[in-house]
Amino acid sequence: MEYKKETRAVEGDWPMAYWQWKFESIALIAKTREAFKEKKLLGLKCPGCGLVYFPPKPYCYCLARPDKWVEVEQTGTITTYTFTGAWAYEGISEEEQAGGAPMIICGINFDGSDTLTVCLLDDAKPEEVYVGMRVKLKWPEVIEGRVDDIAHSEPLKE
Amino acid sequence: MAHTDVAVVGVGYSKHVSKRRDVNIAEMVWEAVSACYEDAGLKPKDVDAICTGNMPAFEGVNIPELWGAGHWGAYGKPLMRITTGGTTGGSVAHGGYYAVSSGLFDTVLCIAFEKQSDGNSTMGLNTVALADAAAMFQQGVDPGFLAAFGGGAVGIAVYQAASYMKRSGCTTEHLDKVSVLCRTNAALNPYSHLKQPGLTPEEVAKTTLMQYPIRFGHVCPATDGACAMLVTTGEKAKKLIDKPAYILSCASCSEEASLMGIAGSGTTNMDPCVQESCKIAAKWAYDLAGIEDPRHEIDVAEPYSPFAHQLLMFYERLLLCDDGEAPAILDSGSMNLEGDLPVCPSGGVISTNAIGASAMERVSEVALQIMGKAGDRQVKKEVHKGVAHGWGGAVNLNVVAVLSDTPRRS
Amino acid sequence: MDKGVAIIAYAQTPFEADANASREIQVLEVAKTALEAAGLKQEDRYTVISATNDYCDGRTISNMRLVEPAAAYKKNESKVEMDGGYAAIYGLMRILSGDHQVALVMGVSQASVYARNIPGIMMLDPTFDRQRWLLNEVSAGALQARAYMNAYGATEEHFAGVAAKNLDNAARNPLAYNKLAGADAAKVLAARKLYEPITELMLAPFCDGACAMVLASGEAAAKADKPVWVKGMGFAHDSYLTERPLEEMGSLELAARSAYDMAGITDPASQIDLAEVHENFAHEELMAYESLGFCGKGQGGSFFDSGATLLGGDLPVNASGGATGANAVCATGLARIIEAAMQIRGKAGEHQVEGVNTAVATGQTGPCAQENVVFVLGGE
Repeated sequence: MEYKKETRAVEGDWPMAYWQWKFESIALIAKTREAFKEKKLLGLKCPGCGLVYFPPKPYCYCLARPDKWVEVEQTGTITTYTFTGAWAYEGISEEEQAGGAPMIICGINFDGSDTLTVCLLDDAKPEEVYVGMRVKLKWPEVIEGRVDDIAHSEPLKE
Repeated sequence: MAHTDVAVVGVGYSKHVSKRRDVNIAEMVWEAVSACYEDAGLKPKDVDAICTGNMPAFEGVNIPELWGAGHWGAYGKPLMRITTGGTTGGSVAHGGYYAVSSGLFDTVLCIAFEKQSDGNSTMGLNTVALADAAAMFQQGVDPGFLAAFGGGAVGIAVYQAASYMKRSGCTTEHLDKVSVLCRTNAALNPYSHLKQPGLTPEEVAKTTLMQYPIRFGHVCPATDGACAMLVTTGEKAKKLIDKPAYILSCASCSEEASLMGIAGSGTTNMDPCVQESCKIAAKWAYDLAGIEDPRHEIDVAEPYSPFAHQLLMFYERLLLCDDGEAPAILDSGSMNLEGDLPVCPSGGVISTNAIGASAMERVSEVALQIMGKAGDRQVKKEVHKGVAHGWGGAVNLNVVAVLSDTPRRS
Repeated sequence: MDKGVAIIAYAQTPFEADANASREIQVLEVAKTALEAAGLKQEDRYTVISATNDYCDGRTISNMRLVEPAAAYKKNESKVEMDGGYAAIYGLMRILSGDHQVALVMGVSQASVYARNIPGIMMLDPTFDRQRWLLNEVSAGALQARAYMNAYGATEEHFAGVAAKNLDNAARNPLAYNKLAGADAAKVLAARKLYEPITELMLAPFCDGACAMVLASGEAAAKADKPVWVKGMGFAHDSYLTERPLEEMGSLELAARSAYDMAGITDPASQIDLAEVHENFAHEELMAYESLGFCGKGQGGSFFDSGATLLGGDLPVNASGGATGANAVCATGLARIIEAAMQIRGKAGEHQVEGVNTAVATGQTGPCAQENVVFVLGGE
């Protein structure tokens, strides 16, 4: 059968606004956020396998439900990283971005936890970052009890 | 054992381009299905069951088979819809394998497709994360920051690439070379999307950096396309064609789902390049297929690699070499069409990515290589066994299929 | 089937309008309970098949967050995007292939999460019907009901009677949520009319819930306590709702025929002791009587009038209350299979029917019961 080059398109969107998801993690993370105000990182330990989840998670692969709050260290190790700048979103070239410092995003395994948290790394240049680098959490001046409170980290000078 | 051998007897593709505005989903799929019937010399009445799949968010249609499958010969037939994200096509092929090997059906039509241009493709991708992001907004997080967290335009792949490079000694030059290998192979494949004959690594290195270490030249395009494959019992296959490609085994393995960071990460993704589930799935599949030494027994590999580093990473995870050896193997030229173990002779996912179809195209391309019907992209060496891989879910599911020119059981 | 596959364990959550748990936790509960009942641990070797729908869950790759709760961590996992009955079929195929011995299959949906009409509307032909906003799952069901009434003389009273039976049965099922002890046809007819002839009490309202089941090969089932054997199964696809006679359930008939052939059933009405039918509307249960061969074509109404399908009848249908009692979309068909297995084991509690040895269960996907799956189960 022959078709015209361009047929008439019909619209049909997925109206996502109608969905209201349920999460146990909301309550868990709320507790963690409260602890930020005391500059503490609270993780959840699984009674089944002993893994510590930070951020907390309501279920574990071993089918037990993590239920014991434990404090996690504020130092950690970079397990992976990337860096980015406005070019990644706007489609503008690196040259045009030359003035601005790229944003370094790294996956940090905080000491005392078994999972990874993604944070920004401040006070470092992209070429200085490596997997295995030691870092520490950098609290903001005003802690509001938001997830963003733990958005920043900096190199650990030992 | 009373179980049945399973063989691929026909493969069909639709055109693969970025926007098919001249056909709808059902019509586009029919292009692949009719080509497949013709290739196998079968008619819709010869088919006993149908296995289908796509990622429905990309088209914005819930279970498109409900209105489309009648067009593909499914009326009155058992139909099963299998969807597992990026691995959908591979999972559909596995469904076809189990449908036949269970002895319940003789001939099964496997169909995988994606018509990304129909949907709001960003919405399609967003819905992967939106449910989780919604929870995070409630916790106080800046959306722009969240986008960067997730890896922006290229997602978790950048983190994976960075940690892979650290572990293996792979350099950005290797990534450029992978793009060249795939895109020049794609130029020989009439059904590929991005064909770039004569592409050089220098040209790839000049494309815009998306997010370190991934450049535009290292990333797959968004494709509209469909793939169909007919599988049948070993006995019927021998009567139908001279050289059927037997599916020896299928295995999948899933790990913890994790969007990195706040919404609850798992231990598995601490180092996103480990992909242990791929090693496990590969081992299961090789064991079932009776392959003891994949490095020497496998003649062609189609790893699922929408991003350049994944071709090397999954080459290792498919147990085709030790961890960290793939970059040197790429340099040796052994992955080329005329090499010892050609990789992605089809051009791979980095050249053509009709998401739901991609993982099945890995299986069908290995089948074509075994059947000797791959045309210009046929590898130089004689192909007896090949491995086809798919990767998806929330970076947490790997599917592996092993194909051969000789059956597993008889 | 010569190579036997058995149901060795199962679990269901209570079905609720708005569960106090996410789907992840609901899945974790049923997966854990079912595995424990089967004597299995997370470390053991089994394959996992889940049934979820991306549009119901409001997320692409709706199984991705379910890996750990579904006990699928480092397991051979896959997902069917249809009714849970299809997950059971896929699990069965995997075992019959000889590559797997045990399969954990599950289905989950939470209607409290999504706008109830949207997933159904997204199923329609996007090039035509979806643009016109005339069809949805209920209005399509109403068209089907009218076509059936017109063809075979079934009446609204028949539909109301079926609904009343299921609502009353559901009152005996502690897991069901849509229940009305002592319901009668008059009450059902007097309820709010949605689309003529369907009243609010004639449909299976969407709800939250999950269920899981463990299938095992004959060898693996040998140690199990009271395994329930899969004697036959079938599934089939019908045409899109505007392209077929709506008064028939063609795909259910085809699926039943293949399941009966496998199970060696020649006279379903006498050989089957109990049926669990996935009916999205009361009239679909009457149509199912015919497609499942319990009575002749067009006799659904009079078969119901005979009282055979009541809880104390010769061939009780939906002793659990059926989908009317609890309809968590992707779990509903699987729950029918589980309920049938419970009846065969004699563990159904208050809605237990005496002497059930052979039972049939069905599941469906798509508007107007487009896709159907049938299982025939048997005891020792």
